[in-house]
Amino acid sequence: MSFSGFVGRDDAKLALVLNAIDRRCGGVLFLGEKGCGKSTLARRFRRLLPRGIPFVELPLNATEEGLMGGIDLEKTIREGRRCFQPGILSRAHDGFVYIDDIHLLPVEILALTLNVQGRGENLVEKEGLTLRHAAEFQLLASMDPAENFLPPHLLDCFGMAVVWGKITEAAQRAAIVRQAMPDLFPESPEAGRRDRVLAERIGVARSRLAGMKISAGVEDCMAGKCLESRMAGHRGDVFLFYAARAHAALMGKDRVEPADVDAVTPLVLNHRRRQLPPENEPEQSEKREPRPPPENNPKDQKSAAADRQSHPGGDNQGDEKTLPEKRESLPMEAVFESGEPFPLRRFHYRRDRIKRGSSGRKIKSLSRDKRGRYIRSAERGLDGDIAIDATVRAAAPLQRLRGGDGRLVIRPGDIRYKRREKKVSHLAIFVVDGSGSMGAQRRMVATKGAIQSLLLDSYQKRDKVAMIVFRKDRAELVLPPTSSAELASRCLRQMPVGGRTPLSAGLLAAHDLVRRMGRREPGLRFLVALITDGRANHCLGGATPEKEVSKIAGLMRELPSTEFLVVDTENKAGLIRMGLAGRLAAQLAADYCRMEELESDRLLAFVQSRW
Amino acid sequence: MIFPFTAIVGQEEMKTGLILNVIDPSIGGLLIMGEKGTAKSTAVRALAELLPELEAVEGCRFQCDPGGKLCGECQEKNRMGGPLPVAHRKMRVVELPLGVTEDRLVGTLDMEHALQKGEKRFEPGLLADANRNFLYVDEVNLLEDHIVDLLLDSAAMGVNTVEREGVSFTHPARFILAGTMNPEEGDLRPQLLDRFGLCAQVVSVREKESRMEILRRKAAFDADAGRMAAAWKKEQTELARRIKEAQTALPSIQPGDDALEKIVKITAALSLDGHRADIVMMKTARALVAFRGKTAVEAGEIRDAAALALGHRMKRLPFEEMGAQAEKLRGLLEGI
Repeated sequence: MSFSGFVGRDDAKLALVLNAIDRRCGGVLFLGEKGCGKSTLARRFRRLLPRGIPFVELPLNATEEGLMGGIDLEKTIREGRRCFQPGILSRAHDGFVYIDDIHLLPVEILALTLNVQGRGENLVEKEGLTLRHAAEFQLLASMDPAENFLPPHLLDCFGMAVVWGKITEAAQRAAIVRQAMPDLFPESPEAGRRDRVLAERIGVARSRLAGMKISAGVEDCMAGKCLESRMAGHRGDVFLFYAARAHAALMGKDRVEPADVDAVTPLVLNHRRRQLPPENEPEQSEKREPRPPPENNPKDQKSAAADRQSHPGGDNQGDEKTLPEKRESLPMEAVFESGEPFPLRRFHYRRDRIKRGSSGRKIKSLSRDKRGRYIRSAERGLDGDIAIDATVRAAAPLQRLRGGDGRLVIRPGDIRYKRREKKVSHLAIFVVDGSGSMGAQRRMVATKGAIQSLLLDSYQKRDKVAMIVFRKDRAELVLPPTSSAELASRCLRQMPVGGRTPLSAGLLAAHDLVRRMGRREPGLRFLVALITDGRANHCLGGATPEKEVSKIAGLMRELPSTEFLVVDTENKAGLIRMGLAGRLAAQLAADYCRMEELESDRLLAFVQSRW
Repeated sequence: MIFPFTAIVGQEEMKTGLILNVIDPSIGGLLIMGEKGTAKSTAVRALAELLPELEAVEGCRFQCDPGGKLCGECQEKNRMGGPLPVAHRKMRVVELPLGVTEDRLVGTLDMEHALQKGEKRFEPGLLADANRNFLYVDEVNLLEDHIVDLLLDSAAMGVNTVEREGVSFTHPARFILAGTMNPEEGDLRPQLLDRFGLCAQVVSVREKESRMEILRRKAAFDADAGRMAAAWKKEQTELARRIKEAQTALPSIQPGDDALEKIVKITAALSLDGHRADIVMMKTARALVAFRGKTAVEAGEIRDAAALALGHRMKRLPFEEMGAQAEKLRGLLEGI
């Protein structure tokens, strides 16, 4: 099937063609939902490449050794010297690496791949081997934006990014169906011819690059655009320059003009733009929104009372009976003066709780399966998980005695096993009610404080924090999982509040985040802290908000390796108390505490006591 | 081909931090923090070209300093007879890649030797290569914890002691740790952070003309690296000469009590752990004096030294306190 015959998606095609012309364009990331043809187009792109240009697909199950290269077991034993088995990246030099569903690739593998790509060479120092080979390649990748939490610094690595929007136009959809069924709707030979023409055009453009001139005003135009995008670093400038140059070459010109810069700017800069801090949405404007139905309005106390009667399990009495024990078990009770406006404090007691070496070692668990990182060899270990390098080393000095005439003689006593280590890492997800109800600001301050303290004091760099805010009609992942205090402080600088209370959306977002992260980093443990009064007045589907909340809570309870905390923000001194948060806590089998008891310190202490 | 060090536009703090470590390796390394694409790695790799020569024991696998601590092999040779032969070798930048394994870092049994001769011999690792050289870790915040532990151990002791697979061996491992990181990708363990003598923050250039110049130089380098190297030859030679001169001048520079008092006044007013900050600041100020061709430490050197030596040591404070401390530091520095 042809590249040219692919329906629509001209920007994606342009991005690929520019990358074929000049490898300094830095690769492309496709952002689009499943089944819109991202990988189909990427694979058809191979047809445009000259013979001999590598195009390597990186499978999602790639291991570190498979990626970078490792020891070749058979050959090492046969020859009695360390032999290296090249990895996937060794085949990629001067070509392309394609990663489908990059968001599913384990983070370590992604970090290693990008590290190699950034340096342009692969350097391996492991298991007695040193290997260095050139690995200049362009990365092509696809990602579902719904799963997007590639942090900005990883996004930046791609020279270009293209968003694959929804196609709703009927004729175009029909054309897509036709091209997807070549058996029924054979492609015209014309398309294949157009591919050959395009490939030739790419070749001609490539030969023009070296002699390309730069028109006056182009540099200024580029610098202006880059400054205006507020992107981090200078890589964007460089990518923009090479993309514009490739564009001019493609157009058959001999000089780059501002029009070329304009043509490629969205491809190169859109994913680099740093979001300006959101403008503070005044609460007044929220209040002008159509009011929610009265029975769900948190400020409408009469109907709230009626609501309470219809849910006997949720009344305040019930809370008092079921929850006092949990509340007393909360650590650091009354250590800090109340009334202080959520100070950030450092916690020292934590050091006693977690066993660490003097150098601040993190909690480690020796891995009982073959996963985890090989840290050293031992004489005993898992069957089949043999450390080749150590085994050969153990046998080596005895070879002359054993008289193996050039062949390595290994006795059972020589066998060494891999000692592996897995990191126990955690993700704390804060789900915060950002609606216009009372005290939104206070909740935000407390949560922000806790997040910042957690990250600043986190000696365990693999522990991560995320924050979801639900307000208006949806839940937003305002802080994607991160262990960086800097990133958190930037993302959390301003937190808009106001609007309705889509609690179920918040819960669902947390649920999805746990599922996705769990898939991506098996072994990760989760702590979900819900900071809410349990009230919901906006739902996702057609049911009532209450029903929706209990349904999602039921789903969440099923999540593996996940603990919950509900921080009740209802004003318990008020006349009407509904205790909805208490009920939610019961549904989730969560720990429970009240807002009055909550300060950053306490939230922090709670999370830390679980870490 | 590596981009010429002197062709890097701006980022003076980073460049100075690297140079000062060449002049006085006991400053204890440099951590470069900043966003992607701000020439962090380029600067460290480019430094290699400017590095001076060292005196080392000829043929020694650990570049032993003839006048300093010797490795087991050199000690043996020394005992057997006569002075050790001395050779000159250029200082290097040794790279520690992510995913390095323990055996490659600290060294292990030399397998080939064992196979051929049936004897156990030590095969040096990266720490041996790094002795008296720069040890560079790109994305140091992503380094595995067990590797960090090993690094910290030998950085603290200045020696690498290996007891594994039936080989026991000790050799000097004094290296200048150079690390780069993007703080957005996660923080560094405090123990490792403190190990770095200096820390330079880099941010992208927001000035249009410089930005265009960066692009021009990058494009020129990409187009013809050889021509670029030739064009910057003069600047490179000149800087290498200045570094060499500063190195020679360094021993004669006496900081004096006045400078010491000023430094201690600053560090005492800030809540910092231990005394490493004071010592590093003193050494940095002194190296700066040497580099600037001066003879005495003045307020300007103390200010610049404080910028490099104190920033990362105040970093572990909660945000509000950090701001207050930075404010305080500014006040203190203006006062000197």
